[in-house]
Amino acid sequence: MTNLALSAFLILLLAAGFRRPFLWVLAYLYVDILQPQVISWGLLSRLPVSLICFVAAFLGWVLADDKRDSRGSFRQVLMALLLMYCGATTLAAQFPAEAAEKWAWVWKALVFAIFLPFTLRTRLRIEAVILVMALTAGAIVIGGAIKTLAGGGGYGSLRLFVDNNTGLYEGSILSCVAISLIPLIVWLARHGTIFPPDWRVSTFAAALIFACALIPVGTQARTGLVCLAVLCVLYLRTARRRVLIVALMAAAALIALPFLPASYTQRMSTIENAQSDQSASTRLAVWKWTLDYVRAHPFGGGFIVYKANELKFETVTADTAGSTTVIRAQEVQDSGRAFHSSYFEMLGEQGWPGLGLWLAIQLSGLVQMEILRRRWGQRDRVTAGGVESEGVDSEGGKSERHEGKHDNDGWQAPLAAALQLSQVVYLVGSLFVGIAFQPFILMLVGVQCGLWTYLKRSRPNAASRISQRRSPRAGSAAASRSAGGPPTRSGAFTPH
Amino acid sequence: MVDFFALALSHGLLALAALRLLGRDDLDREGPGPPPRLARGRGFGALRGRETKVNDRDEHDRTLGA
Repeated sequence: MTNLALSAFLILLLAAGFRRPFLWVLAYLYVDILQPQVISWGLLSRLPVSLICFVAAFLGWVLADDKRDSRGSFRQVLMALLLMYCGATTLAAQFPAEAAEKWAWVWKALVFAIFLPFTLRTRLRIEAVILVMALTAGAIVIGGAIKTLAGGGGYGSLRLFVDNNTGLYEGSILSCVAISLIPLIVWLARHGTIFPPDWRVSTFAAALIFACALIPVGTQARTGLVCLAVLCVLYLRTARRRVLIVALMAAAALIALPFLPASYTQRMSTIENAQSDQSASTRLAVWKWTLDYVRAHPFGGGFIVYKANELKFETVTADTAGSTTVIRAQEVQDSGRAFHSSYFEMLGEQGWPGLGLWLAIQLSGLVQMEILRRRWGQRDRVTAGGVESEGVDSEGGKSERHEGKHDNDGWQAPLAAALQLSQVVYLVGSLFVGIAFQPFILMLVGVQCGLWTYLKRSRPNAASRISQRRSPRAGSAAASRSAGGPPTRSGAFTPH
Repeated sequence: MVDFFALALSHGLLALAALRLLGRDDLDREGPGPPPRLARGRGFGALRGRETKVNDRDEHDRTLGA
């Protein structure tokens, strides 16, 4: 039944692409995130659905899409360089067979992340991509959250559609991705036009956010808890009602605490006492090994080079009984342990140049989103403070948003902030999980590039800026036009 | 059962989103309309012959009041 339903859904989605080829891009996102071919056992599992969707998305763009507004960006060039560099390190990898296996999915994820921004020419496309990412990952999150509530959670034991541990179906990765999804869900609930804001959207969004927050509990992944804490702190930076939000967060934490299973609180307590925890000690030992390795191999050892490591480290446990504390040190030997950190994964596998490129891609994203957040946030304030803008009526343009004719609802700055928050959460989670090439995150980078080039085309021309300086009233009107007006080829704006 | 519910809910919403996107012109094009020589139909309609372009040019001229 599930098998048939998933096959029918994908076939219909692909068929709809003949009318709107952009749906093929969405189909690829769906297939890459959920991996229906892994969940089902019939037709889908026998077909190379991912390849079919990618070819369809690419051909759809090449043959039928308007490419006038398609622009490349600096970060896409960086990703292309990283792709070529990874290809070169794979050829010279220390473990060629294993490296080729990882390269087989890494190049696809990178190529798609480079390709995606070219297709994001309209606001609706950007929104559609985010919606599909949220709903598709939401399928895994909702299932995991319900099982957690029913008591089916546990480290490595939360079953999510499939039994394998790949992609988003790995606990730590899912908990990091689920938390990074929260800002995007909030944005969709506030500024969505496919599902315009109303009580049903708000209810579903609140439930989905709750489900996302439950994933670190269900998977008992400490990374998720750290990500959630970081997100809470960062959210306050852009939030308007800070005191209310802090109070709500504190109340939620207090209410949730008694309901958490003992195994969860026990595992989370090891965050403070890393020395006694073998998992944390292994990480530290692997990281030390990586630093030693790149000293001898500054260009990295290629994918899966961690198989070369042989570790010897000590774990220290302290047992307190009454006033006596007994400290026990135990020597542990291990080998072939994964990096458990994206930073060290990049350093060990791709060396300093690879790490540099990857960091440049990530950090430039943070900077670009900050620029957009400030630029468009300022513009929204000008618009709100000046004359009532075209496209936004007294009810906040709700009726027009429904029709999607006007998009002057100040969506740009909040989206930039949401994408930035998601990325910060990912970068924090990356400290403890090796997800440097996680396709979901690379899609997020693709969306950032798309938003950057889209809004770059929407920059007001010099005339509107001059008029804004000369006459605040006229300037407000110009700013309001530019805030929502569709970009044209010349960069000027067409009135609504 | 839980898996079925999660898949049904998310796929139902995805299908509804796809359906709504099919009816939205601003998915492929924003603004009142492109210049005539670059006018496009929907999807693979963009690959149709000259007739579409001529019609679009007429429509564009009308929009401009020409």
